Amino acid sequence: MQSSLGHKVAGLLFGAGFGFVLAAAKLHEYEVIHAMLRLEEAYTFLLMAGAIGVSMPLLWLLDRAKITTLLGGRIALSRSKVTKANIVGGALFGLGWAVSGTCPGPAVVMLSSGAGLAVLTVLGLFLGLTIRDRQVARNGGSATVGDGEQRLVATP
Amino acid sequence: MQIELTEFSDGRWPWWIAGPALGMLVVGFFLVSNQPLGASGAYAETAKVLTGRKDAVSWRVWYLIGIPVGGFLGITLVGNGFDARTGYEPLVEAWNSNWIVGAVVLVGATVMGYGARMAGGCTSGHGICGTAQRSPASLAATGTFMAVAIATTFLLGLAGVK
Repeated sequence: MQSSLGHKVAGLLFGAGFGFVLAAAKLHEYEVIHAMLRLEEAYTFLLMAGAIGVSMPLLWLLDRAKITTLLGGRIALSRSKVTKANIVGGALFGLGWAVSGTCPGPAVVMLSSGAGLAVLTVLGLFLGLTIRDRQVARNGGSATVGDGEQRLVATP
Repeated sequence: MQIELTEFSDGRWPWWIAGPALGMLVVGFFLVSNQPLGASGAYAETAKVLTGRKDAVSWRVWYLIGIPVGGFLGITLVGNGFDARTGYEPLVEAWNSNWIVGAVVLVGATVMGYGARMAGGCTSGHGICGTAQRSPASLAATGTFMAVAIATTFLLGLAGVK
């Protein structure tokens, strides 16, 4: 599905903003992620709480006000029910996250910060995602697109 | 040029700047594109483009390109600049071999990618964007991966991995 130029430019700019903040918070550093997961440093938990603390009430308000977005029509939040895939997939994700010390967003920042082994991290992510997609396709289904991933709205 | 917003001696932005900034990006992207900012889905769409499939959501590819570009800017303007290194110094120190670390990281990242696709998102997708929408599925996935990652890190610690 070909996206409009506006969606591509917005994607690039917001991606850059996201990457900038990840780098400014050093979330692309293995040590920072492991200091959080060892429960030795509250920094990353507080950062996530700060992000959610700002965005959750604002999204709630914008949804209640039924505002129209610039490129995507009337605002639409996604609030799916829990499935087994959320839990099993989440557990596998947590296992891989702890071992590789980074997650999909920070992994590409790791790469552009000069971390050579991050090439393997990014390669592994592509591999794992593709294996899952192929497996689901073989069984005649389509991949789970969670509430934090892209969805089809009025004007794609 | 240095952006002076630092509280820590290692030059990170304080969490109360970086966290709300991330939150505003999430809200801003809803206001512009009416979409959440999950990273793992962007990998999946990019993989589709790379393998020549026609059903890829193409703006996601631009989003995935933006992250390392913005990251490079952040490292240059706020952080310590580009630094050629392995990125896994604590593991390299523990195991004394780039090859072993590389193999473990590759397997770990593959499991992580598989899990993210199965769960329908990752730390940014479920953890921030889904949770911010008050999605039960995202809250469940986030609680699960947080708990498992903390438990795994604890077990790795017992095995001598920092």
